[in-house]
Amino acid sequence: MESNGQGNPSVTIRRSSKVEKTKKKRRFKLRPYLLLIPIFVFAIGFIYYPFIKTMLHSVSTVNFKGEITGFAGLSNFKYLFTRKDFITALLNSLKLTVMTVPLTLLLCVVMALLANNKRKLSPIYETMFTLPMAVSMSAKAMIFRVMLHPTVGIVNHIFNLDVGWFLDEKTALIGIMILVVWMGLSFNFMLLLSAFRSVPDQLIESAKIDGAGYFTRLFKIQLPLVSPTLFYILCTDMVLAMLTSGPIILLTHGGPSRATTTLIYMMYASGYGSSNYSMAACISIIAFVLTFAFMILAFVFERKKVHYE
Amino acid sequence: MSDKSRRKLFNVLTPIAAIAVGIVIVFPLVYGIFGAFKSPAEFSSYPPTVLPKSFLYTENFKNAMNIMPFWRYMFNSLIVASISSVVRITFAVLAAYAFAFYDFRGKNLLFFLLLATMMFPGDTLLVTNYLTVSQLGLMDTYLAMCITSFVGASQMFMLRQNFRTIPRDLRNAAELDGCGDLKFITKVLLPISKPVLITLLVQSFITSWNAYLWPLLVTNSAEMRTLQVGVSMLTSLEDTNYYLVLAGVTLSLLPSLVLFVIMRRNINKGMTAGALVG
Repeated sequence: MESNGQGNPSVTIRRSSKVEKTKKKRRFKLRPYLLLIPIFVFAIGFIYYPFIKTMLHSVSTVNFKGEITGFAGLSNFKYLFTRKDFITALLNSLKLTVMTVPLTLLLCVVMALLANNKRKLSPIYETMFTLPMAVSMSAKAMIFRVMLHPTVGIVNHIFNLDVGWFLDEKTALIGIMILVVWMGLSFNFMLLLSAFRSVPDQLIESAKIDGAGYFTRLFKIQLPLVSPTLFYILCTDMVLAMLTSGPIILLTHGGPSRATTTLIYMMYASGYGSSNYSMAACISIIAFVLTFAFMILAFVFERKKVHYE
Repeated sequence: MSDKSRRKLFNVLTPIAAIAVGIVIVFPLVYGIFGAFKSPAEFSSYPPTVLPKSFLYTENFKNAMNIMPFWRYMFNSLIVASISSVVRITFAVLAAYAFAFYDFRGKNLLFFLLLATMMFPGDTLLVTNYLTVSQLGLMDTYLAMCITSFVGASQMFMLRQNFRTIPRDLRNAAELDGCGDLKFITKVLLPISKPVLITLLVQSFITSWNAYLWPLLVTNSAEMRTLQVGVSMLTSLEDTNYYLVLAGVTLSLLPSLVLFVIMRRNINKGMTAGALVG
C-alpha cells in the first residue's frame, strides 16, 4: 500500500527503478524453486519414487536383492489371492477396522462431551485424556503385554477372567483391538474437543430457551456442526486401522497360528523377513487401494473443517 | 426449581465421570510405571497388584540399564530425534516461505504435490524405502533413521498459513534494504513465528523419539539402536522378565512424557491445527 500510493517521484527515477525491478524480478524467479529443492528431493526420493517402484514391483518378478528380473503382469496378484494366509490377513485387517473404528469414535464423542464445558478440574482430566499420546506405540504395546498376561497381568484378575489374550488364537486379535482403540482415543478426543468448543454458544443457549433438551441439542445442533471433524476422524482411523502393524510386530508376530496377521504385517514379513519383494509390493498396493478412498475423503473433510472453523 | 437442581447435579456429576474415565485411560501407563518398581517375587506372587510394595526398589532400573547400553540408546534417540525434527522443520520453513512470499510458475501444482504426499501412508512404503536405504549403503547410520522424516507437509502447510499473516510489503522493504531471503527468514520471520515453530519442533521431536518400526528396519548392530527399539528387545513373548521390560519402558517414556506435560497446551493447539491438513 505504502509503496504504491506514496510520493510522486520524477519520471526518470521511476523508470530506472522499474528497470531495476524487472531485472530483480527475473532474478527472483529462480529463488522460490531453490527454496523448494530440499523438501522436494526427499518427497520424491522417499514418497513418490518408492510408490512408483512399489507399483512396478507388484507387476514384476523381483530377485532377493530387490532387482527387477522380468515382467509378471497380474500373476503376482492372482497368486496372492489363492494364498490362504493372504485371505486371512485381509480378513483380519477388515475385522480390526470394522470393530475398532466405530468404538473409538463413540468413546471419543463421549469423552469430548464430558470435557466440553470448561470447569475447575478441566486441566486435570484433559491431561489425563491426552496423556497416552506422549507415549510411544512400542511402550504402550509392551505395557499391554504385561497387563494382558494370563497369569501375571492385572486384567484377568480384575475382571475375574481366565483368558489367554495374546497367547490364545481366539483372543489375540481382541487384545490387539483393545490396544488399538486405546491408542486412538487421545488424539481423536483432542480434535473433537476443539470442534465441540467451536460450536457457537448462542446457538445452544437459544435452543435451551426454546426448550430443547440435552439430546435434542446434541443430535440437532452439536453433532451436525462437528460432523466434518467426525468424518475426518472416521476416515483417518479407517486408514490407520487397515494399516495396523506395529503392535503385531511387537506382541504376536502375526500369531498364534496367523490369528493376528494383518496386511501390513504380512507385507513386512514377506518383504523384510523373507525378501519376497514382489509379494510385499502387491500387498502394499492392495493396502493402498483399500485405504486410498478414505485418504481422499479425509483430505476433503479437513478442508471443510478449515473452512468451517 | 427442579430444573435448577438437576443442572446442579449435572455440574457435579460430569467432572466426576470425566475423572473416572480419565483414570481408566491413564491406568495402563500408571500400571506400567508402578510395575517397574516391583521385585520379581512380587510379580510372580498371587494375586497381582497395581501398587508396588515400595517405590524405593530400584533394582529393575539398574538391571535394565546394565543389560542394555542404556546411555548409548538414549544418545542415539536424542541424535535421531534432534536431526529429524530440526531438518524437517527447516525444510518446511524454506518451502512455506517460498509459497507464502513468492509467485512463480507451477506454484499451485507444486503445492498440491507436496500436500498430496500425505495421502501415501508411510507404512505402505516401508519395504521399498528399506530397499532404497540399503542400496544407498546407509544401513545402520543415523542418516538412515532420519531420512524418511524430512518431509513434513502438514508442518509446511501450518507455517505457510502463519507466514501469510505477515504482510508481503515487510519482505519487499527488507529486500530493498539489501536483506536477502535467508537473512529475512532468520532475522524477521522466525522470531515472529516463534510459538508455532516451538510447537512444531516439540511435536516432531516427540514423534521421532517415539518412532519404532523404521529405526528397527534400518539398524542391524546393537549399538545403533534407538531407545524404543532397544527396550523392545529386552523381551520376547515367552520371557518372564516383565519387571525389566517395564523398567525399560518407564525409562524410555519419561522424557517424552515430561516434555508433553510441560508443553501440553502448545502441543494440543499445534496438533489440532496440524491435523486439519493431516
